[in-house]
Amino acid sequence: MATVISSQTKPRPPAHPIDILNSDTARLYTHIHPILVLSIYAFQFPSIVADPVPALIKTLIPLAALQIAYVAICLPPTGGTATPVIDKKKPGEKKKVEGSLAKTIVPAFLSLITATILSTPLLTATLVLFGAPLTTHHAHTLLAGAHISFLSTLPLVYVHGVDGATWREIIALLRPVDEVYGGMIGTVVGAWLGAIPIPLDWDREWQKWPVTIVSGAYVGWAVGKLLGGLVFKGKKIMFE
Amino acid sequence: MALRTVLLTVANLLIPVAILIFATGFFPYKPFMPGLAEYEKLGWEQAMGWKEESVPEAPFDKLVFMVVDALRSDFVFGEDSGMSFVQSLIREGTALPFTAHAASPTITMPKVKAMTTGSIPSFLDVILNFAESDTTSTLSTQDTWLAQLRAKQGGKLVMYGDDTWLKLFPGFFERADGTSSFFVSDFTEVDNNVTRHVPEELLNSDWNAMIMHYLGLDHIGHKAGPKSPNMLPKQKEMDGIVRDIYSAIENEDHLSKTLFVLCGDHGMNEGGNHGGSAAGETSPALVFMSPKLKDISQHMEKVSPTKPKDKGGEFEYYRMVEQSDIAPTLAGLLGFPVPRNNLGVFIKEFLSFWPHAADRIRLLLRNARQMKMIVEATYPNLSFEDESKAAGNECEPPLSDGQDLACKWHGVVDTMSTTSRHLTAEHRIDQLFWFLTAAQEKMSSTASNYDVPRLIIGTVLTFVSVLVTLFTLPSLRRITPPGVAYTLTIILYSVLMFASSYVEEEHNFWYWATSGWFFCLFISKSRKEWQSKFVFHPAIMLLVTHRIIRRWNQTGQKYAGADDIVHSGIFHGNTSFILWALVGATYMDITIRISRHVARSILVFDKGSSSEDSQAVDANRFMGVIAVLPLGATAFVFKLAFTARDAPELTYGINQGLIQWVEDLSLVDVARMVFAGTALSAVWITISEWKRNRDRRGEGSGDLAIALFDLLSLFLITQTKAQNIPLYLLFRFQFFFLSLLDLTPAAITTTTLLLIQTSFFALGNSNAISSIDLSNAYNGVSGYNVIAVGLLLFLSNWAGPIYFTAASSLLLSSPGRPRRNIAMNEVDSRDWVQKEREHLERMAKSEEEGRKRRESSEVWGRHVGLMTLWVGVATGSVMVACTVLRTHLFIWTVFSPKYLYAMAWGIAFHFGGTLGLGSLVWRAGRW
Repeated sequence: MATVISSQTKPRPPAHPIDILNSDTARLYTHIHPILVLSIYAFQFPSIVADPVPALIKTLIPLAALQIAYVAICLPPTGGTATPVIDKKKPGEKKKVEGSLAKTIVPAFLSLITATILSTPLLTATLVLFGAPLTTHHAHTLLAGAHISFLSTLPLVYVHGVDGATWREIIALLRPVDEVYGGMIGTVVGAWLGAIPIPLDWDREWQKWPVTIVSGAYVGWAVGKLLGGLVFKGKKIMFE
Repeated sequence: MALRTVLLTVANLLIPVAILIFATGFFPYKPFMPGLAEYEKLGWEQAMGWKEESVPEAPFDKLVFMVVDALRSDFVFGEDSGMSFVQSLIREGTALPFTAHAASPTITMPKVKAMTTGSIPSFLDVILNFAESDTTSTLSTQDTWLAQLRAKQGGKLVMYGDDTWLKLFPGFFERADGTSSFFVSDFTEVDNNVTRHVPEELLNSDWNAMIMHYLGLDHIGHKAGPKSPNMLPKQKEMDGIVRDIYSAIENEDHLSKTLFVLCGDHGMNEGGNHGGSAAGETSPALVFMSPKLKDISQHMEKVSPTKPKDKGGEFEYYRMVEQSDIAPTLAGLLGFPVPRNNLGVFIKEFLSFWPHAADRIRLLLRNARQMKMIVEATYPNLSFEDESKAAGNECEPPLSDGQDLACKWHGVVDTMSTTSRHLTAEHRIDQLFWFLTAAQEKMSSTASNYDVPRLIIGTVLTFVSVLVTLFTLPSLRRITPPGVAYTLTIILYSVLMFASSYVEEEHNFWYWATSGWFFCLFISKSRKEWQSKFVFHPAIMLLVTHRIIRRWNQTGQKYAGADDIVHSGIFHGNTSFILWALVGATYMDITIRISRHVARSILVFDKGSSSEDSQAVDANRFMGVIAVLPLGATAFVFKLAFTARDAPELTYGINQGLIQWVEDLSLVDVARMVFAGTALSAVWITISEWKRNRDRRGEGSGDLAIALFDLLSLFLITQTKAQNIPLYLLFRFQFFFLSLLDLTPAAITTTTLLLIQTSFFALGNSNAISSIDLSNAYNGVSGYNVIAVGLLLFLSNWAGPIYFTAASSLLLSSPGRPRRNIAMNEVDSRDWVQKEREHLERMAKSEEEGRKRRESSEVWGRHVGLMTLWVGVATGSVMVACTVLRTHLFIWTVFSPKYLYAMAWGIAFHFGGTLGLGSLVWRAGRW
């Protein structure tokens, strides 16, 4: 079937993949970051299995901190691109670092708020649609939604803002792949695949709700981020 | 094109052939030894000092055999049991309690066979259980303790209760009163029918065996589970009957030598169902009672009530024996030869009845000789002679099963032949039990009985079919989402068939895959056109509907009995009007739809060919409603009347006068009226559409297909339990949303595959025998008609998949859309009309596509090809799993039932549903 995007009222500029900031720190940290996040998750894993709700809340805080650090260090905030800041300033200016950090840390926190208030309920609802328990385990599902949201949505909000048209493209998988977008797709697919082990009769504690979903999301996010940033960067997802 | 059709036909014909060949290898028909057993020559007369034909004196001459259906061990022995009298007998020592292990399949008929013949019934009996009138499954020609007792001098049998016994033993009983377990809502009448005969029979002295089979407890289980408030009163009622019979045995002279056996034929799981192999299902109680037992029970455990054993699961009370042990034990206690096909072992606690060691050995030796004959027949190449082989090399490991048994038998022979005084009787008895238990274990596990070459031939043929189907499919150059989803689904399914827990929880896979696919549809559609209210996007609505559907019935093993929408209580008791409002809405919807078709048909006959594009006018619509309303109303009344009897708890909220009125109706007649009315409407509409088609040159609109689909829906909901009928309203929504999505043929096929499976499980089915729903198999059938009942049984259990098969044919041919002629150059090209223009353009385009699709058989051929590929892969993977895992612990409990289901899917559903009904609706869509 032919794609009919031509009918849109105002033409949109072609979308570009997100490049990470042009600094050594950014290039380095973007690879350290998933290792840190996964390490913290792995470290917390036994307590998440033992008692999901408090452990998931506890893990949410370092996750949020790390994600904020990641977007602030590595990614261009909404409207910006990867290179402009350094080029425009004169060399040797002292306030450069603080200024750029101040410019990034505020949108990073705004993204955190958006991810908490807007995206978490939406993702929780999606989890319920996909079969999460509706009458019990409310806190479990909400926290799973929060983790998925912090992993997938927070960086996306930071780089794309809350522009409706962009988000439509994001949901419709029309954006070119980059590490942020790849991370989001990986998180969602990973969380979905995470449901597979639940019905097995191994009778392990980690099979209970929502441990496998959250674990799938973390692993999927790391894989998606890696593939999106390195292998498939700039490619568009072809559907048919 | 022609070659493709030929190949597809070959592939389709290969499937049933492969399935049947595999089945004959997988469920081999067990040959049984005909004729009644007689006391045979024992041997070792001189060594043991017994006479050749002599029999140890039997302590009992009469038997009261009381079966309480689904009497799980804890219902008698547990601390919460209501059977205090039985427990007092256990404490006194006049009752010997056991837990009798009932091998899967835990259904009444095979279990009665196990208890009476002592054999382990094969899975073939499950099929025969549903085709009960089949004469090969009766036990009239087999050796059972009933036949033995009847053959005794003056032997007369009486039987009261479940008519399974009357079917299994035709002409055996002097007096009998069978009750059928048709309505499981009947908790009292079925049992009163049995109990009313008891006092009278206890006064008669002419019988030597009285069999009773109570069904009420099982019905309570099916209806409300083991924790139902009705359970305890029922146990007390059963306890009272035991008390009556036991005191008669104590007081009446002619009953003084009566053995009283109380047992369950199987247990029940936490959901109250049975058929599978959960601990609860396989652990019925078994109690032997008689005042005489006090003599032998001095040294036995007499604690009651008690707790289950620490080591053996939740339901193992006292000692665990096999259910087949009942037959040889009765043979010894009542003095008759052990039935020929017996695989049971005499229960050793009863040996104390015979003070002389020689008598004990004689009993066991007869048991062992009888069992040895079966072993000999199974391993014809091995020697089971009575000659002692000193230090033969056959006992050296490694041993095959047969060699091991031969070795053990020769051990028996050795100990019997030795005259050494050092060899005590205990030694011989131990040796005999050693052989007996080993033979029981080996012979019961049917692992050795597979016909592996046939398994392989069947599997290979299936894969040939898969390969042939692959050739008929167009080359896969373009990777499309439906193609990927389809491929991933069948690959993942084949892998999961090797995991026993995923066979039990298969619904989870389909629910999961369907959610993913609907979300994928949402993304796919959003790429083309963004809907501002995306929450109400058809794909999202599909997802929402799917979420409700999957919670409707809890199914599978892991969470059996957990809460679902049906059991949440909103449909029960006084709020049952919610259920009936939904049911009514479903009936109303279908009735109105049918009335439109009838209205159109009236118009056809009214105006003849004068009107080309006939749209019904109001008057005709009104006529249509008038004509169809009786049919819809009758169908609804039938459902209400049936439910009032089958599940009265669902009709409490309904006006009682109405309920009383419907309860007086004859269900068979009303059901026949519904079926006849549906058939008549189908014929009428077909004739009118044929006439309309003939009058109108050129292509048709496919209205006939829609009419047939709506009539089919009416028939299917008639074959569905009331609490599941609202699901068809949801299915209807799904169908509507799917038609809004304008899917490509490949996407329709993938959706069909997923929804067929989802709807099957959503209606409460699973891969366990226990979930087969029999309640709607007798609609409109009086008496017993195997073909009609079998057909209705299939249709009522596969109603959801059949619905979506027809729906997919409709989606593929997308009929019922009148042709629109839009002159594009006349449409205003101003900006604000642009959108509308595109909308019209797209609509015209999709209509054009639908028309093209209908005209070429290519689309249908590809759909059938993909569905055949799916059936081939699914059946093939189940076959490989069954072959590879044939020694798996769960082979009889998980994989064999799955194979039975695969047979039904591969033969009945694929041919009757996809190829038969699907093609019919497809062809009708071209009219």
